[in-house]
Amino acid sequence: MPDWPKWLLLLIAVAISACTAPWRTLAEDPRYELTTVPFFPQTIHQCGPAALATVLGATGIAVEPEALAPEVYLPGRRGSLQVEMLATARRHGRLAYVIEPRIETLLAEISAGNPVLVLQDLGALGIRRWHYAAVVGFDPVSDVLVLRSGKDRRHVVRRERFLRTWQASDNWGVVVSRADTPPATAAASGYVPTLLAAEPYLPAADIDAAYTMMLARWPADPLVRFAAGNHAYGSGHLAEAINDYRTLLKVDPVHIAGLNNLANALLDSGCAVDALAKPGVQKSWLILLPLATAVADTLDKALAATTSVSATEGTGDSVCTAE
Amino acid sequence: MRFRQLTAAFTLMCFLGLGLQSTASAGVIGTADYLAAEARAGHLADINAALNRDDVRTQLIALGVDPVDAAGRVAALSDSELADVAQQIDTLPAGGDGLLAVIGIVFIVLLILEITGVTDIFKKI
Repeated sequence: MPDWPKWLLLLIAVAISACTAPWRTLAEDPRYELTTVPFFPQTIHQCGPAALATVLGATGIAVEPEALAPEVYLPGRRGSLQVEMLATARRHGRLAYVIEPRIETLLAEISAGNPVLVLQDLGALGIRRWHYAAVVGFDPVSDVLVLRSGKDRRHVVRRERFLRTWQASDNWGVVVSRADTPPATAAASGYVPTLLAAEPYLPAADIDAAYTMMLARWPADPLVRFAAGNHAYGSGHLAEAINDYRTLLKVDPVHIAGLNNLANALLDSGCAVDALAKPGVQKSWLILLPLATAVADTLDKALAATTSVSATEGTGDSVCTAE
Repeated sequence: MRFRQLTAAFTLMCFLGLGLQSTASAGVIGTADYLAAEARAGHLADINAALNRDDVRTQLIALGVDPVDAAGRVAALSDSELADVAQQIDTLPAGGDGLLAVIGIVFIVLLILEITGVTDIFKKI
């Protein structure tokens, strides 16, 4: 076969086949599609606010794209930046969790009832054309995805086509959720920082609920225990914090920050402290030098306390000793 | 024994020149500080974050954001997000719309691709 341009071959193919693409007209099917996710047709350049209003709406936050534009739209770029999409979700009391960049993960979230905000490149011929949309459905029979996109409430696109447009953003996908109902595929290592970033915008009850949820879902995760301990400590619940730190240290006995904070919580409870005198701690200092100032403060406090506590032979408080 | 270890550690810290603070919450390590330390960021990151915050706010205003809105938008970004944006606000993907210069035969090819469903170029966004 001669080196014919691909478009010419396509032209011929089109001429001898039907001109309509059947998947474009796929009927809405609640089995594969989150039919209740709202839709906001975008105005020019404003796919960021529109897509964000869509996924926020799915979590019960009723906000119009026009109200989001001042928070997320960047006139000089005629678009919205990814980090500002995340930040704006937080400002409305929701968590924006960046999912693992795989289509399987995206589909798992759809199955779990969570629409996924995605960044695509709809350009061609080397011209970038970044676009935000919300994936709301996947039909495994036709192998198509359904998106709330631009001016289409149901934009149906073949999976392979979607993957090509999604790949340009390194498969950037985000699930916006309530603090206490994390994405189905969320990992503790990603959820803790996501929650932390949103905390300034969350009501105290939501934050408490989020930590309760995390402890139930990832009971043995050191980072979750550490963060939960800190949250309890910050809320003035010393006994709860001590318990969290001790649970953490059972999993990771030389967790320097956990040892340090346990020592502080114990000191605040009037206990003598030897938590930092464990073997292996010195090695951890070298790993986490940025924390050295805090550890030195704790040692300072512990030294001062050792003198006074040894004079009274301990306080006899049960919180001081691990069971 | 414990006293010696503590003293040794204390001396080590002093030698490292990291200084001591004596605020009420001194010594407690927050979750964010811990995560930053794990990422080998630490104090340097704090300084950079402050610089980045100012930098990004200025850039947002230069790109047409109302100065009042810009303050709130910068405040909503985490330190690592600021670091990502600071140096490349002009080049990072900005999802919105791009003008396509399509003429003649190129236009027709794209139209065909669109009709066959190979592409989404003419989808209104």
